[in-house]
Amino acid sequence: MSDSERPRSDEVLLVDIDVRSSRRLARLLEDDGFNVQVLCDGASAISRLARAPLPGTLITELAVPLTDGESVARFARSQDPEMQIVVLTRHPHLMNAASFPSPAPVILTKPLEYPRLLELLRERQVEKTHASGLFLRSNSGW
Amino acid sequence: MPTETRFQELKRYVRLDERDCGLLRAFGQLAAPELPRIAEQFYDRIREHEDAHAVLNGEQQIKRLQRSLVAWLTRVCGGVYDEAYHEQTAVIGRVHVRIGLPQRYMLTAMALIRVELLRIAARFLGEHSGPTQEALVRVLDLELAIMLEAYKDSYVERIEQAARQERTDLGAALADAEHRYVSAVELAGVIIVGLDAQGRIQLFNREAERVSGYARDEVLGRPFLDVIGCDDATDDLGQRLTAVLSAKVASGVFSGAMRTRSGKLRDVAWSVNAAGDLTTDGVVALATGRDITDEKTREDRARQNERLAAIGTLAAGLAHEIRNPLNGAQLHVSFLERAIVRKSNQDDMLEATRVVGDEIRRLANLVTEFLDFARPKPPELKPTSLVKAMEHVCGLVEPTAKSARVELACDLPSSDVEFPADAAKLTQVLLNLLNNAVESTAANGGGTVILRGRRGPRQVFIDVEDDGPGLPSPDAPIFDAFYSTKEGGTGLGLAITHRIVTDHRGTIDVSSRPGKTSFHIALPLEQGAGV
Repeated sequence: MSDSERPRSDEVLLVDIDVRSSRRLARLLEDDGFNVQVLCDGASAISRLARAPLPGTLITELAVPLTDGESVARFARSQDPEMQIVVLTRHPHLMNAASFPSPAPVILTKPLEYPRLLELLRERQVEKTHASGLFLRSNSGW
Repeated sequence: MPTETRFQELKRYVRLDERDCGLLRAFGQLAAPELPRIAEQFYDRIREHEDAHAVLNGEQQIKRLQRSLVAWLTRVCGGVYDEAYHEQTAVIGRVHVRIGLPQRYMLTAMALIRVELLRIAARFLGEHSGPTQEALVRVLDLELAIMLEAYKDSYVERIEQAARQERTDLGAALADAEHRYVSAVELAGVIIVGLDAQGRIQLFNREAERVSGYARDEVLGRPFLDVIGCDDATDDLGQRLTAVLSAKVASGVFSGAMRTRSGKLRDVAWSVNAAGDLTTDGVVALATGRDITDEKTREDRARQNERLAAIGTLAAGLAHEIRNPLNGAQLHVSFLERAIVRKSNQDDMLEATRVVGDEIRRLANLVTEFLDFARPKPPELKPTSLVKAMEHVCGLVEPTAKSARVELACDLPSSDVEFPADAAKLTQVLLNLLNNAVESTAANGGGTVILRGRRGPRQVFIDVEDDGPGLPSPDAPIFDAFYSTKEGGTGLGLAITHRIVTDHRGTIDVSSRPGKTSFHIALPLEQGAGV
């Protein structure tokens, strides 16, 4: 099954040690129609990304316990070249986006502007809907 | 009676008369065969003496000179002593001078000839030789007198020439010394002010004019302390000047200030000294000073940067950490805002939450700017188009300007120029200056902001000009960190701007008065050369 044929997940994987803020962010995202799973360390994030179904979006803080956010992001990219990856950080200069396998992740500096994040995710949803539309049309023989 | 010539006068002095002439003529005929022998002896003697021999060169010349000597001896014993004779002897004397024959050898050589001639006379004339010998002594003394005259003439001439040369040299040296003194005072990069006993200005050099803004003729004769706006009762300079003027003692270097013609205060390192005997034109004290305003500003800024670098690591770490709680606060505020809209939609509660959100954004902004300032990244220099950079920034500012009813004019150079710059940082600089200009002009109810780019011989010049109210004070430390006159400003914008420009090895300065504020940036066209 090629990427364009696979239905996209609404699931967002959110990785941050600041659980209280993560839960609040998760509430906002769920309110806006996403399905959010919150994890607070790199190791459990990688083990989650090792099994299907993969989330459509990964949002990870750069500094997380038990391996760092960049490794989590690289692992996610190796699992799915199409996955939307957002890196949250207090240190935007620590993330070397140039050496990241294409497509590069979006880097957002904390404090997070929620409307900006929502805009990003919705852009992808529109692309996804568009892609599924094509898939449906071609498969149903229109 | 015709006046006596020098020769006639000499002949009269030695009493050489007609009888002597006859005796000498007779002696000449007798002695003629002996003369070549005398000439030979004469030159043998000369060969024995280095300094005398030095004037001769080669045996051929000696043979010739021996013939000349014989001719001379013949002439001396010729019995005819007229003006022509005198002239011939004078010529010989001048030749001696010209070839550098020392006088002592001429005198001693003459003694040799005298002794030989007297012996010949004694030999030929026996007991009757007395009168002839006397005549010989007279004529030989005459010869000596004439020849010595040539030496005397030469010495007088040399002394006169030396004196003339000395006078010329002395005049030139005096003129030189004065010229040097004047240009040293005028061209010195030091303020030099000469004061009379009452502390009035008698001398005011070019640097003093430059720093103070006064022309010389405006201040000559005026009390120095008045001119530089110093209160003599309280100020250090006044006290020291009074001490120097009364006790004629020197004071050391001390820092003080000086008010310029336009009212600005300049920092000056002064030194006041009693002039002593150095000058005569009524100047009893010299105040010398060095304008250290720029130096001091640079020093202050360097010190500040050092301080910031020292706390930079700690502060940057802290700033990064602040982003986490800000993140939590921001998310919760976003959540609250949404909850209020959904559930109660009370305007005052919504308003309060939005204020909290804005404040959090402001804090976040401060953190970002602080990190930019405290831990700057070196600029990544790439050939950058001046026109493109200007148009890009104008495009970004245009909407803000329009809504603030400010006219934004982009004054491009007639032809584009590329120069090494970090395009992102240059944009940050221009955005910062343009936004400031738009804001201050808008506060005035509208106006015009000009962004102007020009190419200089070695630099690119970028000006940002506005017709707003101007800076509150011309001396305001606007490029210092945390100095802000804007409501809600972080006080870092211009500090970052300054840092970016200096990281590009450029300069930025400002001139401001109500109705016109102008920031002037100069960036090098080539990085290697510097500015």
